[in-house]
Amino acid sequence: MTVSVDLDNRPSLAFYLSVGLVAGSIIALQIGIMRVFSVGSWAHFGSLVVSLAMFGFGLTSAVMCVGKGWFERHWQGAVKGALLAFGPLMVVCNLAAQQVPFNAIFLISDPMQKWRLLANFVLYFMPFLAGALYLGVIFLKAQKTFSRVYFADLVGSGLCGLSVLLAMYFFKPDDLIMAPLLLWLAGGVLWFVALGDRRGIAAIVGVAILAAAVHFAAPPLLGIPKLAVSDYKGVSYARKFPDAVRTYERASPFGYLEVYSSSYLHFAPGQSDNAAFNVKKMPSNAYLGLYIDSEGPSGVIKDLPADETPYFRYLPMFYPYLLKKDPNTFVVQFGGGISTAVALKSGSKHVTVAEGNPALLTAFREDKGLRDFTGDVLNNPKVTVIDYDGRLYVAGTRNRYDIIDLSLADSAGLSSPGGFSIVEKYSYTREAMSAYMRALAPDGVLSVTLWNKEEPPKSVLKLYATMVAAARDVDGGKDIARKFYVVSSYLSTATVLYKRDGFTPAEIVQLNAHTKAMSFDEIYYPGFKVDTSTLPQILSDYRDQFFFAGEQADPTGPSEKEPNDKPPPGAPTEVKADGAPASSTQAGPIVPATVLGRLAWHFLIDGGWQEKVADQYVFDTRILTNHQPYFAAYIKVGDLLKFTDRLELVQDEWGYLLLWATLGIATIFALTLVMFPVIFGWRTIFSRYPGKFGTMIYFLCLGLGYIIVEVGMISHFILALSNATVSASVLITGMLVFSGCGSFFSERFLDRTRTFMPKIFLSIFLILTLYAFTIDYALDWIGTLPYALRIVLCLLLLLPPSFLMGFPMPTAMTTLGRLGKDHMFLWAWGINGCFSVIGAALVPIVATSFGLPAVVLVGAIAYLVALPAYFSVLMPLKDGRPAAA
Amino acid sequence: MKRRTFVSGTTAFAAASVVSPAFAASIKPYSWDLTPPTDTRENFIAWGKARGEDPAFLGQRWDRFQALVKNKDIWGPATIRAFLLTPREEFASISPAIHKRAYEHAFLDIGYGVTMSGPHIQGRMTNVIDVKRGEKVLEIGTGSGVQSAYIANLTENAYTIEIIAPLAVRTRALYDKLIDKGYTEYKHIKTKNADGYYGWEEAGPFDKIIVTCGIDHVPPPLLQQLKAGGLMVIPVGPPGAQRVLKVSKTQGADGSITTSREDIYGGKIVPFVPFTKLDGDKIAGTHNR
Repeated sequence: MTVSVDLDNRPSLAFYLSVGLVAGSIIALQIGIMRVFSVGSWAHFGSLVVSLAMFGFGLTSAVMCVGKGWFERHWQGAVKGALLAFGPLMVVCNLAAQQVPFNAIFLISDPMQKWRLLANFVLYFMPFLAGALYLGVIFLKAQKTFSRVYFADLVGSGLCGLSVLLAMYFFKPDDLIMAPLLLWLAGGVLWFVALGDRRGIAAIVGVAILAAAVHFAAPPLLGIPKLAVSDYKGVSYARKFPDAVRTYERASPFGYLEVYSSSYLHFAPGQSDNAAFNVKKMPSNAYLGLYIDSEGPSGVIKDLPADETPYFRYLPMFYPYLLKKDPNTFVVQFGGGISTAVALKSGSKHVTVAEGNPALLTAFREDKGLRDFTGDVLNNPKVTVIDYDGRLYVAGTRNRYDIIDLSLADSAGLSSPGGFSIVEKYSYTREAMSAYMRALAPDGVLSVTLWNKEEPPKSVLKLYATMVAAARDVDGGKDIARKFYVVSSYLSTATVLYKRDGFTPAEIVQLNAHTKAMSFDEIYYPGFKVDTSTLPQILSDYRDQFFFAGEQADPTGPSEKEPNDKPPPGAPTEVKADGAPASSTQAGPIVPATVLGRLAWHFLIDGGWQEKVADQYVFDTRILTNHQPYFAAYIKVGDLLKFTDRLELVQDEWGYLLLWATLGIATIFALTLVMFPVIFGWRTIFSRYPGKFGTMIYFLCLGLGYIIVEVGMISHFILALSNATVSASVLITGMLVFSGCGSFFSERFLDRTRTFMPKIFLSIFLILTLYAFTIDYALDWIGTLPYALRIVLCLLLLLPPSFLMGFPMPTAMTTLGRLGKDHMFLWAWGINGCFSVIGAALVPIVATSFGLPAVVLVGAIAYLVALPAYFSVLMPLKDGRPAAA
Repeated sequence: MKRRTFVSGTTAFAAASVVSPAFAASIKPYSWDLTPPTDTRENFIAWGKARGEDPAFLGQRWDRFQALVKNKDIWGPATIRAFLLTPREEFASISPAIHKRAYEHAFLDIGYGVTMSGPHIQGRMTNVIDVKRGEKVLEIGTGSGVQSAYIANLTENAYTIEIIAPLAVRTRALYDKLIDKGYTEYKHIKTKNADGYYGWEEAGPFDKIIVTCGIDHVPPPLLQQLKAGGLMVIPVGPPGAQRVLKVSKTQGADGSITTSREDIYGGKIVPFVPFTKLDGDKIAGTHNR
């Protein structure tokens, strides 16, 4: 059929809408796949797979660059084919990927797992390839009006990104793939409308119905899962309990929330072993299991009758209630409600409790089952609920509290096979801790309890160092030796108490008696004595666990790869000359982690922590700050390569190591794809293009710079928006839409870019540099305002840089198009795409190593470097065709 | 998900039932006097062959035994005997994917989100609780069944509880099959499908408790069912990054009861994943290279 559409000359609105919707469906598919991985297995591998799948753009660009002539001749067929394939590929590849589930925990021990991971990658790559082909061909055909097409692309992506977040309210994760499918269908229909191709419309509607039918009908018919949840995810265990009943289920952008009841669910986070002998009546069936995205459980505690509440004394969060009677209590994070229950049952006259996840608040406030079970705790007249981060509330309020509690808000900490996420934990930063400390009433106590399940200890050391640093920020850091009381239970929990006015000797006696009664270990209290002579040995023992470099005394002994462990307690430590085993009995158990905790406090309080402990310790113990709010990235960068042959020893670090792996793989892929057309066409297609190197640098900088700013700002904006999902949606939508507007606006300056663009680059650089150093203060303040206003102000903050960041890409692309540098046009698009992937992988690494301001600064520098490179883009062809500028 | 597990489970059963008739009642029955030689590999394999076992696996068992002793995972004669008498391959035979890997220093997937721990950790946990003949030992988390198989060589009173019903049924059936085959020591094992959190009150109190599944605290009922002076070992943490706690229960002169915790690895990470690659019965390098 003949179609008369000239994409370079005023195509119809339907065309632009189609571009926006299909581009939006690509971003929706990315978000959808990430959700599938979060719920089914492990979010990190979702990022890896999606990042690599985005190389569909790079590959398309490389192929189109080499075969440009063919694509120009057959562009309509290519678009039609890509469009008709995109939707069905999403559904079929997703379903197929669910049948080859890959299990991160066996990645090293089971040789099959890496092939399964590869299969996942290949399957998810396919739909992106189709989507990229559609966009690539359209960009090629519309290169002279690129800024408008790009406007449609960006605004469509931004708005559709928002729409898929809204879709999470309607579709459970198993069906979330329907969101990109619907967007694709709308975009596809509009494409054929723009072309007046009725048969195309019929075809795409037919294909869409078929795809949806496959998604919904094939799993029950074939007995295959729509979304395979790993057997090792917390919820999988609950589902196997014979009496398990799911009592609550709700999908939302804040996570897929499920609550299970079963007599097999047992919690008592950090409970003292002595409870077994002293509590007359242990509560039975006292908990429901709460799972978010299949992770958990977090315990939801029932409203215990009076004869069962003595049990609370045996939990570590009970400590502050030993000292404070009738306190006015603030609970920083509601979580599953245990801290709130302890506060209420331990005599608090009033409890203020904050929770930043609206889905949790909705569940506990509205679900009848949960309300009955918890004694309607959130509607209790003694309870005031703050529906945003406790950290932000405390920083802004004038109220003062006798007890501030931050305890084990996360799940039981058992079911994270394969590592912990690199997530921002702003509630535990130095800034947050000093805010809690300042919000204490006279004689008030701050109590922070954290899981202490790592050996060698990692998180707890960060917590200890952070709390001491925070205490030094309060009241001039005077007398901090008197202000802390610390206990831990080995492989269970650690609790830090802080009293702004210092603990009295009588209080120390009281606390120590309780610690003894609980069989917990004293880690620090005013006047606590430590034998510092053991420090070097402990530090070197911990290092030797990973990097034992001693001589191999016995040539027949275990090789480096064989287990080479310390003898267990009770085992003969050495054999005497007469062959009889030497006695190995010792006075009492020596637990290195506990001793290290005591030494840590000694040096934190008395000085010398950094040079004597932190610098020598095998893992990174830097404090959490608003710039580096991570309980993650414990492997020191200098040790990274040394760990590559002993990954099994650091399985809980895989999340972090995977970031490096992603960066490495992405860099190799990107360079291969970028160089592919150059090598193939160096003497032919590229030979007559001047400024190749500069052009590559230019688009490389844009690709890196934009995504780095976007992803880095998502982490920053959690400061004000309290929630990663909301922050991501505000950022994606805000930045893309504003940049789209910038792109649209940039068309007006095309005739004077040589003078205009340097100003744009300088402005971007200056604004981003300013933001890097000051945005925290603005976001902290915004965080105290009503939520809707916070979103508006965040968007306003984003407007200036995003709008300007919309200029460079379309200006340069249109210039390449108008200069007739067609191959370079395609190549540039690919470079931009490839380096976006690298940039996204780079952000968490820069953030964990150097902090979030460094991330934004790297973005700013990328735009500064793009300035001189821009003049390479402007170089006209050697054959004398006129330049547009 | 369930369907896939079911399918793989039935496949394993089918495979097992095909294999089993060939070996039925072929093992020399158990007695407390059985003493496998510990002097040379050849003597051990010859002795095991005479009992009716597969020489290839006997060789692997010997090699792993040597590694266990070197690493001080087992040291007591009773535990050494138990290790040498226990056919791990029979317990790994439930899945063709892991059957040949029974002696690897690795945790193996046995379905239901459950793993069979490696020989080093199981050896060490067994030796640490130092079971004497006649003592009552409770295991929580039957799983593949191999841990209680070790205990059955140390005492007549082994009790084991599995929470996952189909797994409990599968492992019970495996014990019965092995008893029929001649491994009569497994008559020492009493099995139950229940929530191990509550222990086995009717059978208690126990001298030793060995827990092979993780939780966020030590279950109070188990501490109650542990005799004063008793020992418990319990792993903590997710698969692949677990530590093993040793909990001692002691009664003071005043009658007060206290507990103390230590780590059976002295704070060292428990490497559950394979370091060594077995080629036939030889250690032929590592899986990492």
